[in-house]
Amino acid sequence: MSLCVLDEDKFHLCCQLLLQLSEQLGDGWSWEGGQEGYLRKTALRSVVIDSSSVWDYEGEGADTSCPSRSEQQEGEQEQAAVDASADTDSIKGDMEDEDEDDGVCVASAGSSQLLQYEYHILHSCSYSTPVLYYRACTQEGRSLSLEEVWSSVHPNYRLRLQNSPLNTITLQAPPLLGQPFFMLHPCRTEEFMRPVLQAAQDQHRPVNYVLSWLSVVGPVVGLDVPLKYSTLLHPAAPPGSTEPG
Amino acid sequence: MADDKDVLRDVWFGRIPTCFLLNQDEVTEREAEPYYLLLPRVSYLTLVTDKVKKHFHKVIRTDDAEEMWFEYEGTPLKWHYPIGVLFDLHASNTVLPWSITVHFKNFPERDLLHCPSHSVIEAHFMSSIKEADALKHKSQVVNDMQKKDHKQLWMGLQNDKFDQFWAMNRKLMEYPTEDGGFRFIPFRIYQTLSDRPFIQKQFRPVSPEGHVHTLGDLLKEVYPVALPNEGSSIPTLPVCPLT
Repeated sequence: MSLCVLDEDKFHLCCQLLLQLSEQLGDGWSWEGGQEGYLRKTALRSVVIDSSSVWDYEGEGADTSCPSRSEQQEGEQEQAAVDASADTDSIKGDMEDEDEDDGVCVASAGSSQLLQYEYHILHSCSYSTPVLYYRACTQEGRSLSLEEVWSSVHPNYRLRLQNSPLNTITLQAPPLLGQPFFMLHPCRTEEFMRPVLQAAQDQHRPVNYVLSWLSVVGPVVGLDVPLKYSTLLHPAAPPGSTEPG
Repeated sequence: MADDKDVLRDVWFGRIPTCFLLNQDEVTEREAEPYYLLLPRVSYLTLVTDKVKKHFHKVIRTDDAEEMWFEYEGTPLKWHYPIGVLFDLHASNTVLPWSITVHFKNFPERDLLHCPSHSVIEAHFMSSIKEADALKHKSQVVNDMQKKDHKQLWMGLQNDKFDQFWAMNRKLMEYPTEDGGFRFIPFRIYQTLSDRPFIQKQFRPVSPEGHVHTLGDLLKEVYPVALPNEGSSIPTLPVCPLT
């Protein structure tokens, strides 16, 4: 379905648009690496890290990679509850209804730390989607381990991530830099983007693939995507205008 | 595919004779003997070196010992690259056996991924298989396989079982005859003389005019400096992500 395919040119276009909006909002995104480059942003976050929490992020077996369709059937009931639209409020709503006591995470009290996050958005030519890479380190320059990153993901998302084929966090070396980064696996991106893109097409509404995608995956890793992006993209039509609102 | 079976076997059973030496700065209770091993080209360092760890743990102070990592002539070796790629990239001109230095301290956080267990290697391997299938079949074949089929692929690699591996892998290597090939050919060209660790692009197996593309066509398109008549002798290593 070419609707969901984000080729490199389209990726660049979406990024340029995002950069313009970011500049207006002072949101801090920049473009690095020239022609075959990526979006970059750094942010300071105050996060509760508990490296001693008993968190089996690997779930069953060792498969931190995305599950296959047969595995997906096991999680299908949960999947049905997930509204795969870019409306993060509805996703959060579903999660808050869940009984968090069912999780395998033992969330013990941890201290709050100020962490330096660095986010990269690249284009994956294998999956024809954007991919989010990030790393975090303490003020002293110590990199976070995968366990610590998992324990810093908001509980609302943790259970969902563990069981959902939506995305998984793995440790990878991104194509451009080769240094260890955390990555949200892109293999299911097309699945949750499809309803968004279809709806936009049906309503003759322009949609920025990268921005919509980011508004879904960003909050999972503590990346805030202000709602103002949306209002700048679709300003309310002034009275008397014939443009669709 | 049946005609290629000999080639497939040769690729699978490729070995590199290696000599593991303990880093001189490690504090030992007695002299550390080198450890010799034939490394499979298609596998990963951290998957096949449990015996190396066991060997050196006998002589070092194990209460200090951190995660084992490997280095060749000052360069930390990325375990998540296949062994054959590491050798061709860093040591192709060396006299055999390949001498690798073993470390148990000062893990280079910025250069290497941690590998706390075999399940991390499995996840990485399966991730590569899935990415390759995204290019070949839009992920349809790998997603239709059952979890036990994925497991068999992994076990085949882990236990060095050619038949077990290829029983599953052949599904990933098939395509409808009318298509003439995969959607795109999964490949990566690793290089040392650049910031970018590898080149990976979408590349079709057949040209619009219907000619079957060769390796030379691929290089001409994505890495022209590698070709002889360009006058350059930069070594290149086209490597498919294990498919």
